[in-house]
Amino acid sequence: MTPKGVSLNPNSRKTKFARRFLCALSQMRNPRPVSSSNDEEVRKRSHKIKIAAYLSMARTVGSRRAWSRALLFKLRTRARRHNMMIGRRSLCLKKKRVIKNDPQGELSQTNKLRHLVPGGKTMDMCSLLEETAHFVTCLATQVKVMQTIADHFDK
Amino acid sequence: MDPPLINESSFSAANLSAYSLAEIWPFGAEPGGGLGLRMGNLGQTPVGFGDSSANRDGSAEESTVTEQSGGGDGKKRKEVSSEDESSKMVSTSSANDLIESNGKRMKLSGSRDENEGSRAEVEASSKPGNKSTEESTKPSEPPKQDYIHVRARRGQATDSHSLAERARREKISERMKILQDLVPGCNKVIGKALVLDEIINYIQSLQHQVEFLSMKLEAVNSRMGMNPAIEGFPPKDLGVQPFDASGMVFGSQAEKEYAQSSHPEWLHMQVGGTFDRAI
Repeated sequence: MTPKGVSLNPNSRKTKFARRFLCALSQMRNPRPVSSSNDEEVRKRSHKIKIAAYLSMARTVGSRRAWSRALLFKLRTRARRHNMMIGRRSLCLKKKRVIKNDPQGELSQTNKLRHLVPGGKTMDMCSLLEETAHFVTCLATQVKVMQTIADHFDK
Repeated sequence: MDPPLINESSFSAANLSAYSLAEIWPFGAEPGGGLGLRMGNLGQTPVGFGDSSANRDGSAEESTVTEQSGGGDGKKRKEVSSEDESSKMVSTSSANDLIESNGKRMKLSGSRDENEGSRAEVEASSKPGNKSTEESTKPSEPPKQDYIHVRARRGQATDSHSLAERARREKISERMKILQDLVPGCNKVIGKALVLDEIINYIQSLQHQVEFLSMKLEAVNSRMGMNPAIEGFPPKDLGVQPFDASGMVFGSQAEKEYAQSSHPEWLHMQVGGTFDRAI
């Protein structure tokens, strides 16, 4: 994205994210105007939109934050792997991470949090909490923007 | 250098006239030459002996606190109080302490704390006969030490590991507080585990919302892709949008940017606070 629209107001993150996300949406829409209503297709496309949302969020934050770095890295490697997979077979392996339900304790909570926050597995407690705070604000912003866009389009 | 002298006259002056020590010491202690030899912020602390029986060990009562950087273990400090079981060590960093303990017999004694560099302060050496020794461990402001920001209160461990651990814990709880402010409904929750639970639930709910919204957007997006007629939003629609005024408005440069995407109107919409968390 061009940096000319960067403003220094407190809403700039929101603005930038919305711009990126809308751009991604329109790009997603333009090349394939005709779409099937197949269930699998729908699922795939909504997944793509979700990835685009996370990606634009992480790009908006940039590499200043550990969580956004981790997220960008994850998405990038995932995209690369996905492309490789497409060449061989259409079916992707899905690794589902199962979070065990330990007996209630701070440790299991912390582990859960580490799984939720991107890149949290390698952080110490202090930076984990810090990144979590930032991540939560960004996630809330993302949801807000997506909600608004969806509301607007739904009219 | 000599240890500071407290001569007899200063004691008697303290007893007789019952002045507060802050008034006394300029007259009593300064001629004794004691002040000039003391260092740091303790250099101003007077030594008062409210009890005249202090004269019993009068040869030995006085020792200033040695500062860490001074290395004055042998230079200035005269460790005398180990025999005197009734003597109290009071670390005096302010005159109030002295005034409070005016009636008591007290002694200013310094013993160097070897474990920890952050004390330029009297560490009361524990004596078997005097368990109620006032051990005040307020750190003064030493210029160059590792854990300046950590305060050890009474009864807390003072070695460097404990201090570092305490600093870490304080940092964590501070971050926790920030997070509590961020997550709605988390302020009432007490307990670290429950707070973490709330945070996790909040993140998960946000992620579910993202999932849900992407499905919604997918439907909208594909609809718009199939049917370009509804792409452009009429401007009157934008006028009645109940968006927050605090929301942002896409500027003209954004419009320019998206001019190629043939529907610049909806870029005018405000992305505001119409965000309902309870989807």
